Amino acid sequence: MKKLFWVSIGIAALAAFFASSHPDGLEKTAEQLGFLAKGAAWRSLMAGYSVPFISNQMFSTAFAGVAGILIIFCGCVGITRLMRKE
Amino acid sequence: MHIPDGFLDPKISAGMMGAAAMALGYCFSKLKAAVTAVVSQHALAVAGKGVQSIASGGRRVLTKLGEQKIYQMGMTASLIFAAQMFNFPISSGTSGHLIGGVFASVILGPFAGAIVIASVLLVQSFFFADGGLLALGANIINMAVLGSLVCYYIYYYLKKIAPEVVAIMAAAWTSVVLAALACSLQIGFSGTIALSEIIPAMMRVHMVIGIAEALITLALVNVFRSMLKEE
Repeated sequence: MKKLFWVSIGIAALAAFFASSHPDGLEKTAEQLGFLAKGAAWRSLMAGYSVPFISNQMFSTAFAGVAGILIIFCGCVGITRLMRKE
Repeated sequence: MHIPDGFLDPKISAGMMGAAAMALGYCFSKLKAAVTAVVSQHALAVAGKGVQSIASGGRRVLTKLGEQKIYQMGMTASLIFAAQMFNFPISSGTSGHLIGGVFASVILGPFAGAIVIASVLLVQSFFFADGGLLALGANIINMAVLGSLVCYYIYYYLKKIAPEVVAIMAAAWTSVVLAALACSLQIGFSGTIALSEIIPAMMRVHMVIGIAEALITLALVNVFRSMLKEE
């Protein structure tokens, strides 16, 4: 199971370099039907899977992806701790 | 298929938020019952922490198996998060990515599966602005409740009359198309675009993305199961 954690990190990092950068199904539909501009992304810290302090787009995305997995992992550990204490 | 803020009107956003909260609340209660056990007053008294509990009449504690289950949920969530970053090209300048709803519920069961997808959506919208904050309810309904919880039962009933491979693939394909349909209805009824325009456009793309979802789900289920066996 622990292996899976590293597999996830690997996939996230690889995605940064090899994933398609075309818009996804919903975005493309919104673009074609002309309502894409109505969408607004709020200015989150890592909006669009990139971090402001790494200028290289691919490394920036890789960093954001790995950070996302760590966030999920910490959340999972935190919930387990809380439930154990109860 | 993460709906950003601005595509939905406030009424639909709020309604979906309420529906998502109710559905997830139900999933949480089911999950809590599965990962905890009522420890008898006697056992707690022996363990030396029973004084308070005797008054309240036994209580629920996290079981060893329950802890393992939560750990598995975390692993599944991180795998799905990573896989969702991997956009694959579909025809004509469009890409698609995994939702993972059926993968999560086949591995973890329908309630834990829905919670895993909802957690991934929460992290994505909160930290990465992937999917709007106000639209989070709608996204949870589409991908976690319909895509994971509801489509689990397609898998469950189909498995009884067909090979499991077929059940997994059919459920995974349906989860994408169903989520896309719900997404189209929400956007259409918000008055953002005519239903007659968005439904066919969304269906056309997501019927193709669904094929990829089916294949990736099948592969992930096999990988995950073989890793579970190794332990």
